Amino acid sequence: MNVTLNWLKNYIDFEFSADELADRLTMLGVEVESVKQLGVALEGIVVGKVNSISPHPNADKLVLCQVDIGEQDALQIVCGAPNVSERMSVPVATIGTELSSGITIKQAKLRGEESYGMLCSERELGISEDAAGLMELSSDTSVGTPLAEALGLDDTVFELEITPNRPDCLSLIGVAREIRAETGNELKLPEVNIRENDTDIREVTSVTIDAPDLCPRYAARVIRGVKIGESPAWLKQRLESVGIGVINNIVDVTNFVLMEYGQPLHAFDYHKLGENRIVVRRAAEGEQITTLDEEERELTSDMLVIADANKPVALAGVMGGYDSEITDETCDVLLESANFQPASIRATGKKLGMHTEASYRFERGVDPEAVIPALNRAAQLIVELAGGTVCEGIIDVYPGKSEPIQIQLRSDRVNFILGTALEATEIEQILYRLGFGMEASQLEDSSYQVTVPSFRSDITREIDLIEEVARVYGYDNIPTTLPKGDIPVPVSDISVEVRKHIKQFLLGAGMMESVNYSFSHPNCFDKVRLAADNPLRDALKLRNPLSPEMSILRTTLMPSLLDNAQHNHNHQINNIALFEMSTVFVKGEEPWRIAGILAGEIGGGVYGDPYKNPDFFDIKGIVERVLEVCCLTDYAFKKTEEPTFHPGRNAAVLLGDRRIGILGEVHPEVLEIYELPYKAYLFELDLEALANAADFSKRFEPIPIYPSVQRDLAIVVDKEMQSDTPIDIIYSTGGELVDSVRLFDVYVGDQVSEGKKSLAYTITYHSATETLTDKDVNNLHDKVVKRLNQELGAELRL
Amino acid sequence: MKAELEAIQATALEALKDVKTTDVLESLRIEYFGRRGKLTDVMKGMGQLSKEERPIIGKLANEVRASLTEAFEATKTALESQQQEQQLHAEAVDITLPGRKPAYGKAHPVMQTLERIEAIFTQMGFQVVTGPEVETEHYNFDALNTPSDHPARDLHDTFYLTDGHLLRTHTSPVQIRVMENQKPPVRIIVPGKAYRVDYDVSHTPMFHQVEGLLVDRHVTFSELKGVLVSFARQMFGDQTQMRFRPHFFPFTEPSAEADISCTVCRGKGCRSCGHTGWIEILGAGAVDPEVFRAVNYNPEEVTGFAFGMGVERIANLQFRIPDIRTFYENDLRFLQQF
Repeated sequence: MNVTLNWLKNYIDFEFSADELADRLTMLGVEVESVKQLGVALEGIVVGKVNSISPHPNADKLVLCQVDIGEQDALQIVCGAPNVSERMSVPVATIGTELSSGITIKQAKLRGEESYGMLCSERELGISEDAAGLMELSSDTSVGTPLAEALGLDDTVFELEITPNRPDCLSLIGVAREIRAETGNELKLPEVNIRENDTDIREVTSVTIDAPDLCPRYAARVIRGVKIGESPAWLKQRLESVGIGVINNIVDVTNFVLMEYGQPLHAFDYHKLGENRIVVRRAAEGEQITTLDEEERELTSDMLVIADANKPVALAGVMGGYDSEITDETCDVLLESANFQPASIRATGKKLGMHTEASYRFERGVDPEAVIPALNRAAQLIVELAGGTVCEGIIDVYPGKSEPIQIQLRSDRVNFILGTALEATEIEQILYRLGFGMEASQLEDSSYQVTVPSFRSDITREIDLIEEVARVYGYDNIPTTLPKGDIPVPVSDISVEVRKHIKQFLLGAGMMESVNYSFSHPNCFDKVRLAADNPLRDALKLRNPLSPEMSILRTTLMPSLLDNAQHNHNHQINNIALFEMSTVFVKGEEPWRIAGILAGEIGGGVYGDPYKNPDFFDIKGIVERVLEVCCLTDYAFKKTEEPTFHPGRNAAVLLGDRRIGILGEVHPEVLEIYELPYKAYLFELDLEALANAADFSKRFEPIPIYPSVQRDLAIVVDKEMQSDTPIDIIYSTGGELVDSVRLFDVYVGDQVSEGKKSLAYTITYHSATETLTDKDVNNLHDKVVKRLNQELGAELRL
Repeated sequence: MKAELEAIQATALEALKDVKTTDVLESLRIEYFGRRGKLTDVMKGMGQLSKEERPIIGKLANEVRASLTEAFEATKTALESQQQEQQLHAEAVDITLPGRKPAYGKAHPVMQTLERIEAIFTQMGFQVVTGPEVETEHYNFDALNTPSDHPARDLHDTFYLTDGHLLRTHTSPVQIRVMENQKPPVRIIVPGKAYRVDYDVSHTPMFHQVEGLLVDRHVTFSELKGVLVSFARQMFGDQTQMRFRPHFFPFTEPSAEADISCTVCRGKGCRSCGHTGWIEILGAGAVDPEVFRAVNYNPEEVTGFAFGMGVERIANLQFRIPDIRTFYENDLRFLQQF
C-alpha cells in the first residue's frame, strides 16, 4: 500500500523528514519498501503567464510569446502550439531544464528569432499522453511557482509492506496512528458535518441481512440529486499519487475514503436496485452476476452477495455489479459501508481469482467501528463534490456487534518475555498511545486490565500486547544477552557421521559435489531404461508442478547426475566427476542416497599427468573405498541384469546378503539419450544401509613383529574364471598364515593358449607367533599350487 | 736416494694437478704406487742402503708416501664431488613444467554455506536435527498457528502432491516434530530443503533453510538477539551490525526480521542494499503460545525462540551470483569457483 508524506500530515503532526519517517515506520514493523519523491522530473519547470503574442516574422505556424515567469523581464519564447493564447497560464521549461524525454532546453534561435525556454504540453512533461496542445494551468497559480508545487507533486510516496496481521495499517489514518504511538501527538480526524434533507432514509430503502454470520454490519445512506462528473484536481492528485485510478467524482470519493479510513465503500445507482432495497444473503448455487470488470461470474452458495429484491448487485466485499454501477446518468446514490467476515471474503476471492482493494482489506479484517465514520465522511464529500442532498438518517444493521476485548497484562510478564526491565508506567504509556484502554488491575499488582480498540482485531492475548510494547519500545533497545539455560546433551547420529566421512573422501578423490532439484520429469525412468516393474518408477507426483520437468519427486539420484553430465558436455566440459548426497522419495519414506558419476576424461590433462578415460574399475574402486571409509569389509559384487547398465560391466553391491547399491558402465542406449559421446560410469548406494552397518569403534591390532615372506604366483586358468576364485582357495589353504593376496597381472594373448588367461598374484605369508622359515613357506606355497591345480585346473605359468 | 724421493714427490704432485678424471687418477696411482710403480721401485732399493742411512731415508720415504697418498685421496674426493655435481647438473628439470596435482573436489557452494552455519550453531550448543520434506498441512501450517483461512498462507505458495501431502514450505515443521517427542530444554537447528512455487533470478522452487529453536524454562527475546548477533558476527565478520525490526510470523510472537549491515558498503548505502545500508537475512521471534499448546507444552512454564534463514540468500551475500538458479545447474565451471 502507498501513502504520501503530505497526505499523512492531514491526520497527524510530525517533524520527520521523509527518510526519518521511513526509518521510524520500518522500525515499528510497518516496513517501508521504497521512498519515492514525486515531481523530480519536473525540476526546472515553473508556472508562466503568456503576456502577449505576436506573429513570427519567418514562420506561419510559430508565434512569439512574451512569458512572465515572475522574474524582472518577461521571456521571449517561440511556440507552435495551436492552443496558445494571451493570459494563459502554462508550464515553462527554463533554460538548462532536462525534460523527461531527455531533451535539455537551450537558448536557441528558431527561424531567426531568439527563444529563451519552452512552453510544454502534458506529454512533454511526462504527465500524460496528451500532446494536443499546451498544458493549461489554473489561472490563479502565481507565476514563478515550481510546477511540481503547483500540481501538488512536491510530495513523497512511501510504499509500505503491511504484514497480514495489521489490516488496521491499510489506511492513512491507520499509519497516522502508528506515528501517534511514536510521537505521542494526537490524531487530527476529518470533521464531518452532514446537512440532511427531510426525507427519512427508511422511507426510501431498507437493508436486510439474511446471513449475519458472514455480514456483521451493513450501513447505508442515500444521497439524491448528485451530478456525476470529474473529480477536482486535489482529489485526482491524491488518488494518483498512491496509484489509484481516477473514475468519477462518486467512485473517487469512495476510493479516497477507503484510503483514509481503510473502510471499503460501494456506491450503487439507487434506481437500478430492484425495489430500491438491499438484501445481504448467500448466493444461490449457480446464480450469476456481471461484475464491474464486465466479467460474468457464476456463484456458489457459500459466497456472500449484496442483492436487491431480485438479484445480486455486488459480490460482497470483493467487487460491485456492472448493472448497478454509477454512470453519467446516475442521480441518486445508495452508499454502502459494511463489514464482512474475513474467511468468507478470502474464500470467494480465491475461488473466483479476484483480488481487489476491498477484498484485500476485508479478508484481513476491517474495523467494524469504522463503518459509520467512513460512511458519513463519504456522504459529506459526495455532496461537496457532486452536489445533491443526503436523506435523513443512516440504516445501520449490526447483528455482529461485540463487546471490546479485555486482556489482563502483567508487567513482570512483559519483562520476563523480553528480557527487559521496563517500569509499569512505561508499559502503560506505550499501550495508551497505541489506543489501548489501560486500567490498573484489581487482581494483581502492576497488572493492567487492557481494553483493545476495535481496529486491532489482531490483539487477543497477553503475548500480543507484549509484542506491542516491544515494538514501540524498540527492538533495538531490548538488551542483547546470551542464553543462560543448560545446554542439552547432544545425541550422536551415525548417519550424519557416515555422510560426513563419505563426503570428505569423495572430495579428496577429486569428485565435485552436485546439488539437484528434488523434482524430475516422469520420463526420466524411461531415459535410464528402468525395467517396467522397477519399484523406483513409483514416484510421488506434484499436483501443481512448475513444468513437466519438475512434476515428480525423484526416487533415484542417477538421472540427475546424467542430466548434469549432459549439461556439462553441452558446454564443452568433459572432465566429469560428480557426486550427490541427498534424500529421495520412495514408498512414503525419504532415505538418503549417495550417487556419483565419472565420464569423459579424468586426470590433470597435462604433460606428465595426461587425461585418461575412466573405466569400470575406477567407479568400482571409488565404491570400494566408500565402503572402507565406513569400516566395512564384508562386501561383495555381483553382476545384475539392470538395463541401465552395460550387461557385462555392472555390479550390485552386496553387504552380507543385502543389496545396498549398484555400479557400472552406463548402457550405450542411455548414453545416446543423454547425448554423451563417451562412456559414463555411475554408482548409487543406500546411505541408510551403510549407516546401519558402519562401525567406527576402532581397536588397536598389534603391528606384526615377525617378518613376512612374499611369493609371486602366476597361474593359467580358463578365461571365464573370476579373479577372486583362486584367491578364496589361497586363503582357505594357507589359513592364518596368508596375510594378503594381491592380484597384480592379468594376461590374455599369445603366451597362453586359446580360451585361457594368466593371473599373477603376490602372496604375503606371515605368522603372528614365529619367523617363518623358507622351508615352512615353500611347503605352504606348494600346497597352494597343488590345490589350485586340483580344484581349478590351474597350471603354473613359468 | 733422498733426491730421488723428493723428485718423485714433486713430479707426482705436479702430475696430480692436471688430473681431470678418476681414470687418469687411477693410472697415475698405478704409476707411482703399483707393483712396478716409481715409489715402489725406490722402496725396493732401500735394502742397499747403509745402516745409518736406512732409518733416515726410510722415514723420508714414509713421509713421501703418506703425503702422496693423502694428495691422491684429496684429488679423488675432489674429482668425485665434481663428477656428482656434473651429474646433478645434467639431471636438472624444467621446473616450469606442470606439477602432477592430486585430484581435489569441492563441496557445493550452498552446502559449504550450510555447513558453516551448522558449525556456528553447533558451537553454541545447538543440536542438528532433520525431518521429512513431504509433509502434512498439520505440521507445515496448522500446528504452526497458520490455519487454512489465514492470509499468511498466501505468503507461502505451496507445492501439493496428488496424494494430499505437500512439500514443506519451510523447515519449521521439524520444530513441532521435535517438541512432540522431547521435553524441554530443546536447543536445535534444522537444516534442510524447503519448497515454494517460485522460479526467477532470486528464487528457486527448492531452496535450503536453517531453522533454529531454543525452549527452556526462561528464554527471553534478549537471548534471541544475543544468539543471532553472535551468529552474524561469526558468519559475516566482527564488524557486522545487526538490527531487529518488528514483523509478523504466525508461529512467533513477538516476531522480528533481522538485518545485517550491508556486506558491500558496510552500512553506508549502496546498490546491493537498496541504499538502506541493511540487508535482511532472517526471520525470528519468541515461540507463540499457540505453538506450545499444539505440542502440549505449557506456555506459562516454558518460553522459547525460533529463527529461520535462507541458505542461498546467505551464500549469495558472499558469492553475489546474479541468478541464483545457477546454483542448481551444476556447471563444473561454476562449481570449481567455490
